[in-house]
Amino acid sequence: MNPNKNLIELSHVSKSYAVASGTFQALKDINLSIRSQQLMAITGKSGSGKSTLLNIITGIDKPSEGSVIINGVRVDKLSETELASWRGKNVGVVFQFFQLLPTLTILENVMLPMDFCNSYPKKERKERALALLELVNIKEQADKYPSALSGGQQQRVAIARALANDPPLIVADEPTGNLDSQTATSIFQLFADLAKSGKTIIVVTHEKEFSSYFENTVGIADGTIPNPVNA
Amino acid sequence: MNTRFKKVIGDLRADYTKNFMLVLAIAIGIFGIGAILGGYAVINREMTVNYMSTAPASATLEIEKGISTTLLDSVRDFPGIKAAERRATITGRMQINDRWYPILLFVIDDFDHLEISRFRHLSGEVNPPEGTMLMERTALSFINAKEGDQIIIKTPNGSPQSVTISGTVHDPGLAPARQEQAGYAYISLSTLYRLGETQGFDLLRIAVSENEYSIDHITKKSEALGDYLKAAGYNIHEIQIPPPGRHPHQSQMNTILTIFILFSFMILFLGSILVATSMATLMVKQVRQIGVMKTIGGTSIQIAGLYAMMMLILCVVALVISIPLSRLAAFGFYSQIATLLNLEITDYSIPYYVPLIQVATGIVIPFLVAAVPLIRGSRISVRNALDSHGVSTIAKNNSMGSKLISQIGFLSDTFRLSLRNAFRQRSRLVLTLGLLAAGGAMFMMAMNVSEAWDKNLKRIYIQRLYDQEIKLNERINVDSLLIKIKGIPGVKTAEGWDYASTSLIKESAYEITRTYPDKGHGSFGITALPLSSALLNPTIKEGHWLNIEETNDVVLNQLARTSEMKLGDIISLGVEGKPTSWKIVGFVEDVGSPATAYVSLTTFSKLVDTKGKVKMLRVSYNDRSHESAMTNNRQLEQLLEREKISVGSSTPIWLLHNAVAAHMKVLVNSLLTMAVLMAFVGTLGLMSTVSMNVLERTREIGVMRALGATPNRIRNLIVWEGITIGVLSIILAFLISLILSYYMSRFIGNISFRTPLTLSISLPAIAIWIGIILIGSYLATIFPARRANKVTTREALAYE
Repeated sequence: MNPNKNLIELSHVSKSYAVASGTFQALKDINLSIRSQQLMAITGKSGSGKSTLLNIITGIDKPSEGSVIINGVRVDKLSETELASWRGKNVGVVFQFFQLLPTLTILENVMLPMDFCNSYPKKERKERALALLELVNIKEQADKYPSALSGGQQQRVAIARALANDPPLIVADEPTGNLDSQTATSIFQLFADLAKSGKTIIVVTHEKEFSSYFENTVGIADGTIPNPVNA
Repeated sequence: MNTRFKKVIGDLRADYTKNFMLVLAIAIGIFGIGAILGGYAVINREMTVNYMSTAPASATLEIEKGISTTLLDSVRDFPGIKAAERRATITGRMQINDRWYPILLFVIDDFDHLEISRFRHLSGEVNPPEGTMLMERTALSFINAKEGDQIIIKTPNGSPQSVTISGTVHDPGLAPARQEQAGYAYISLSTLYRLGETQGFDLLRIAVSENEYSIDHITKKSEALGDYLKAAGYNIHEIQIPPPGRHPHQSQMNTILTIFILFSFMILFLGSILVATSMATLMVKQVRQIGVMKTIGGTSIQIAGLYAMMMLILCVVALVISIPLSRLAAFGFYSQIATLLNLEITDYSIPYYVPLIQVATGIVIPFLVAAVPLIRGSRISVRNALDSHGVSTIAKNNSMGSKLISQIGFLSDTFRLSLRNAFRQRSRLVLTLGLLAAGGAMFMMAMNVSEAWDKNLKRIYIQRLYDQEIKLNERINVDSLLIKIKGIPGVKTAEGWDYASTSLIKESAYEITRTYPDKGHGSFGITALPLSSALLNPTIKEGHWLNIEETNDVVLNQLARTSEMKLGDIISLGVEGKPTSWKIVGFVEDVGSPATAYVSLTTFSKLVDTKGKVKMLRVSYNDRSHESAMTNNRQLEQLLEREKISVGSSTPIWLLHNAVAAHMKVLVNSLLTMAVLMAFVGTLGLMSTVSMNVLERTREIGVMRALGATPNRIRNLIVWEGITIGVLSIILAFLISLILSYYMSRFIGNISFRTPLTLSISLPAIAIWIGIILIGSYLATIFPARRANKVTTREALAYE
């Protein structure tokens, strides 16, 4: 993929929710373009709308207005089923609380996206999952269950799982929010390595001490990005 | 193995106890269906096979004088007659341990060539030598005798004589001896003569060659044969045409088994509701995982398929456990019913459609019921799934109920919170209440019906104020005898009554009855009694009791009444070969009697020209207990023997009570077993609901603990919530049980006595159910409560 090409284009995106007191405007007329193959951050205070923005990018949520184009696909127009399949192949998501499935082993957790998306031949899936676990330095724990791993180790597995279908885009919502600083550093280093290898990684964070890892940072406040951003 | 499948297996293994309960809930339903349906299929088939193996007579013509072989041959040549045999049936008495029991003696013409009303030879002689008899197998155990033993038998005109049991037979057309409290034996004509009787073969049994299951055809053929015999100088007393091809108990048995099958489906349905609520629990528990799976590429269909696979595995395990067990239970069930009906199971195989129905219902019903939570759970949007924090608080806490609970001042805060929590998830509450209430209602209904059945049986003593009924072989003047009977210590009073068998004469020139060869099932009789009698107290349902002497008024009991009859109708009854006309003045309920028409003794005497003589004595005792009645009966028997009175039968009321009770005991007990199973499924349901309620509030419980709530307080909160649901269900269950009991009592009463059982409310049933629910609620909630307390405050607060 051309590193100068825009992977993500959000145009006039707004998102509002119905709440008990009326309507809450989470995002207001967002215009944002993100080019591929970089590690970038979305920052903002709690309630600023950064997680909503991430949900819009991943197709987890749909905008009330505006358009979302990811890798040439008009994501906001896809149905729930199309979205699930699209997301599985195009976006890897890393959560703050890792969200590994507790009744599957580490290896099986990584194999599951391939199973859902049928993206690799059955025979290759195990090999690929092991390779990804090796990439995140956790291969020796492959047969263990998530509960046997530390938070940092679980987050590495979550990253391996996000990479399972080789998506061009990885999004992480406060991936180190639940980890100590040493482990968090190693996670950011892993993201940086992945970006170098050609992935586009968007991280929602408010941890300023890791800003050196990011090529671009988009700040969001009260649901708006002050100026149209081309990150 | 597919990774998704591994997840299913992993999830199933993660909570063995819960999944075991789910399997159990489904398995109980499938088990019930298999046991009852299997039993039903075998009994239905064997009842027909057994009954038809006897080659039942299409009709029996009761003829006034003996049937000669020449006449028999001519009947065999009569057009449309396939087979004909001559028989006689005598009701005698047998003495067992100082007590006399009725015995039906079937006099057989040719034991070697039985074509109609056959029986199966079991042991000993095939052709009993003179002075011996073949005994029906059930009679042997009833009188505790064996082949080779000698039994004292007295026939109407003979003196007591010892008769040897030379062989045993099985006659599936007869009810078991214990049930009828009577014996059955097969003898030759020479033995009958030896017993002191002089009559010949007076029963002509025929089998028609065409349309053998058409009652109209059989009636026409019998009437034509009757005309032929009349022309040949033979007088026809009665023509008995029982329902063709149908065992005497077939329709009752089919109806009762159908109810049981409905019960089984109900249990499966309740089990499935439990599965649905548990599936909903699982979905709640897994909502985050669903969100994650959708995030990593899982579609709604793939996710629904995953949980459907989980359901399928649960159902298959339940089927694997329950099908073999249900076959064993079916064996037990049909063996019991076979004993109850005196059937010999010839083929033990359960038809293939029974396991097929089990498989189909065991998968389809749980899937249908669980489809809603399954589809709803798998279609949840990713954002909602990832944002899920458990039970919603919006709107629900502002409800009227919640406000009402807040206003009840005397409640403790814990209890008030428990009440509110119970009402938070209303749809789930409704399902659980439905499950528990249905279980409770069925349990109470079964106990109520059982109690109503017992009470109805006791009405036998209330409606009959006599304790002994003695039927005489011939009419005698009883005035002096009654004085002597009244002189026996313990005798309260004695009356002379009369009786005759009868039939409703419609358009036929003959008395046509539906009586079976055992002379009991389907029989119809006239009972003539003095209007001043103090020995009968039937329940008047319509009209009034007999009150004017010398009128042709008649009062019919429930079995004699047909649907078209009403007060004031004139009916024609055949009495001793003559048509007699009667006006219906009342309808009564008379538990335990066959179809009976009550008339005035004075009118009856005139019609039959008895010259003041009677054929029946009814005697009452001061002490109606079983033991006292037995002593008084012995004295009464001795007096009759001294007076050389020829007694046809002597029936104590307790014997009648026992005979009727034995008819339905197994079935009422089976109903109770079903009820206990339902109670069990209901309790599992409560446990499931409370677990789910607690699970959803893990974070909330953490907050309460952080605010200072002690583990005790948390436990009380959860336990009281379960008990609140339990108590609510008891009230509902009681109300539903009243409706169910009313209809089921009517139904069971109508098929057994042709009169509804009086609605009875069993206090022990209510007490037991309250106990089950309170203990069940406590046990069902104490585990979730413990689990809630095991989670540390930190873990609970971090719970996603």
